[in-house]
Amino acid sequence: MDPAPARYAIRIHGHLGATVLSAFPALVPQHHGADTVLTGLLDRSALYGVLAEVEALGLDLVEIRQLGPQPKSPESGESRSP
Amino acid sequence: MDRAQPRLIGRGDLLAALDRAAAKKVTIISAPAGSGKTSLLRAWADRPGQPHRLAVMQVQRDQRDAQQFWLALLRVVRQASVPTSRAEPPAATPDFNGRAMVDRVISELAGQRGRFILIIDDLHELISLDALAQLTRLLTDLPGDVHAVLATRRDLPLRLHQLRLAGELAEIRAADLRFSERETRELLDASGIALSDAGVALLHQRTEGWAAGLRLAVISLADHPDPERFVAEFSGSDRTVAEYLIAEMLERQPDDVKDLLLRTSLLDRVNGELADLLTGRPGSERILLELENANAFVVSLDPGRTWFRYHHLFGDLLRLELRRALPEEVPGLHRRAADWFLRHGQVVDAIRHIQAAGDWPRAARLLADYSFSMTLDGQTQTIQALVQAFPPGADHPELALVHATVDLIQGRLDEAAAHLAVAETYAETAPLDRQRRLHVALASLKLSLARRRGHLAGVLEQAKFLASPVTGQSDEDIALGSELRAVALMNLGIIEAWSQGLPDAERHLQEGADLARQIGRPYLEVACLAQLGFASRIRSFAITRQRCREAVALAERHGWGAEPVIAPALVTLAGNLVWTGEFDESERWLQRTERALQTDAGPGIRQLLHLAAGRLHAGRGRHYEALEELRAAEHLQSQLAGPHAMTSQVTGWMLATQARAGMPSQARASLEALTDERANAGEIRNARAVICLVEGDPAAALDALAKVLDGTAPVVGYVTVVETHLLAGLAHRELGDQRAANQSAERALGLAEPDRLVLPFVMTGSGELLEALPRHETVHAALLADILDVVHGSSLAAQDQSSPPQTEELSPSELRVLRYLPTNLSRPEIASELSVSVNTVNTHVRNIYAKLQARDRSSAVQRARELRLLSTGLTR
Repeated sequence: MDPAPARYAIRIHGHLGATVLSAFPALVPQHHGADTVLTGLLDRSALYGVLAEVEALGLDLVEIRQLGPQPKSPESGESRSP
Repeated sequence: MDRAQPRLIGRGDLLAALDRAAAKKVTIISAPAGSGKTSLLRAWADRPGQPHRLAVMQVQRDQRDAQQFWLALLRVVRQASVPTSRAEPPAATPDFNGRAMVDRVISELAGQRGRFILIIDDLHELISLDALAQLTRLLTDLPGDVHAVLATRRDLPLRLHQLRLAGELAEIRAADLRFSERETRELLDASGIALSDAGVALLHQRTEGWAAGLRLAVISLADHPDPERFVAEFSGSDRTVAEYLIAEMLERQPDDVKDLLLRTSLLDRVNGELADLLTGRPGSERILLELENANAFVVSLDPGRTWFRYHHLFGDLLRLELRRALPEEVPGLHRRAADWFLRHGQVVDAIRHIQAAGDWPRAARLLADYSFSMTLDGQTQTIQALVQAFPPGADHPELALVHATVDLIQGRLDEAAAHLAVAETYAETAPLDRQRRLHVALASLKLSLARRRGHLAGVLEQAKFLASPVTGQSDEDIALGSELRAVALMNLGIIEAWSQGLPDAERHLQEGADLARQIGRPYLEVACLAQLGFASRIRSFAITRQRCREAVALAERHGWGAEPVIAPALVTLAGNLVWTGEFDESERWLQRTERALQTDAGPGIRQLLHLAAGRLHAGRGRHYEALEELRAAEHLQSQLAGPHAMTSQVTGWMLATQARAGMPSQARASLEALTDERANAGEIRNARAVICLVEGDPAAALDALAKVLDGTAPVVGYVTVVETHLLAGLAHRELGDQRAANQSAERALGLAEPDRLVLPFVMTGSGELLEALPRHETVHAALLADILDVVHGSSLAAQDQSSPPQTEELSPSELRVLRYLPTNLSRPEIASELSVSVNTVNTHVRNIYAKLQARDRSSAVQRARELRLLSTGLTR
């Protein structure tokens, strides 16, 4: 069975522009130095979908991190910075 | 566009690396999108003076259908083959046997003379674990002079450790594909772009030698007024390479080109007409040709250059840009594309675009409407993939029909029935113009469900419509009607063949095969013919054999010689050969049946397989092995709806074999548990007699057999009666009545003669009974000799292929006389047996000698035995 959805931070080298970001509507982008970090709540198949998109667009994937256990409410999750 | 002419540059080091890799069996090129895999492979393949032949295959985007993948692979291998194969072009079947398909590709490759290179590009698009496992086998078992090159964006679950350990696997990865600074300079030079060394270094550093980035840059640089500034700005940008460059590139295109690129980006492949439709302007074909000439990420797919596709990375970026720039137009573009595909009969593409447009109800409707013909075309995995693309939770009543189709193919009969019920309710409420299609699909599914359950009444009910002629207004109606008729005839014939005593089976299957041929559905034709042999098995062994061999030959022409569809003919032939004592030949056909049944099966056909295997063991005197197979056959009975043609035989033989294997008390216990009606069947009575004989009670055995001998007990066929006579003979012998025993043996021989049955004699252990039969008392000396050969442990050679053709055929009257030659009856005695004059017999005998090129009676008999003329059934 699919594990419960979790928050992920996906770090990609370079600053993603509006065009490429439109491929990840479910994720919130933030620039970190030379990288872009995409954050959001994903279940297993959505995660694979995002990774497939990263692969298809030839993006330079630096890191994928799961951000701790799922927070009780979305608010508490948003306040934690990735 | 034609001002930008980026050229492929000769990347000598990489080509040399590929050459070195080609000394091994398999090369894998694994690198991210835009690394230049495809361009490299093209450059390598196109080098002049290559002595090898080359098959190049591009895996379709998001390919989830293992069968479509393999058919495409087989097609490219065939196209590259010399000499060109004369077989029918490969076609899909509803029940796909992946293992057999791999065997087919391997044998096609093994038939190649000289070096052969197979290139599979975009292998990451293959989303089927089955297909990847099958591909692993192909790669591991590649014939000697074949080299395979796989290109993929990521490492795939191919288990190639054997090849790796054997040093037969070469790998080329992203780092190897990166452009060096020198190559970057060469690329710019070849495209006529003047850039300072510092500019080249900057560009190389910014793109990190990534091929797609460099080529995008070249397109923009080609007509840029100030290349140095372009590179400087590019380097200063923090956007990703691809995004920056594609935006720049699009910015520099004329409006019509830019518009075409964006609007057609949502197609997997595009042609001029389709592009005109999506842009609302003529002249798209010229633009596409110019883009390809300019090497701008557009490639043609056919030699005539009518269909094109974009490089995947390029297409993906364009699609994102389209969604951003013209979001409100996207659904409409998908719908227009869908309508075009539908008009051109490309239903799968049409459904995909309607799904992409988010028009789920229409997608569901179309899928339901076309699921019947897609099933006949063997696109079952595609149907499954399309069903899975619907958003979860959304309930489309149309899809019940599609779910039922998938359930049925995967053998989930109860789920199929439940979905069918929903689909039926829905069909009643569907608009009139669709009802016809839906009813055809429903009828076909119900027929198939009832048949798979072995439910005769259900099939008869569903097939009632056959009585009325095909009606319909449009050509489409008539075509649908014909397809359904062929499907109905097939199911009807199959179920009738399984239910004893319905001679219509042969007629229906023959009609179904004829109709299928007329409407160009070879798969259905083979399916009908494969069952036809089985249907005639009780009537005539000779006809059965001929029909089975014809069906197998037709299946082989289509490459289905090891598919489940031909299994009924294979297993019938195997079973048939056991009856005549051709055990070795039978075993070969049984092995073939097992290979064909590796995917699907269904309890019915598996039962036949166990039954034939059981008989073969019994014929070879291996009681325990026979018992095991017969038990397995009996066990499958519970999965079928009711008793059928084979039920009594299966149970009877199992009981008899159990008794012979030294377990008479268990056999008797099972026997006594049968209902009176079942126990009355001839086959069960024979089993009872066997048990009595083992128990040492020959009188009780005779008692059990009496009703078979007087014809009051029902029997499956005359083969049962042959066995009855033999068991009676054995009982008489036990009771000391040699005369009655001889009579029984002679009657059994008489019945067995036309088909030259051997098995009943061997199974009943009638060796001594036959040896005791005085030779002058039998007119079946030749058959007798054959039987005794088998009793003493040999397998008869195959009959129907070995006859030398040069012998002139004997007339029926000559054959009648020939049958008496092995006896020690004199010519006058033969004349009186046949109620003809001695002169007539003399004339026939002279002709027989001449035709058989024999000098005397014994050499004529010898030759006739070799030619197997002593038993043709013509004397009946």
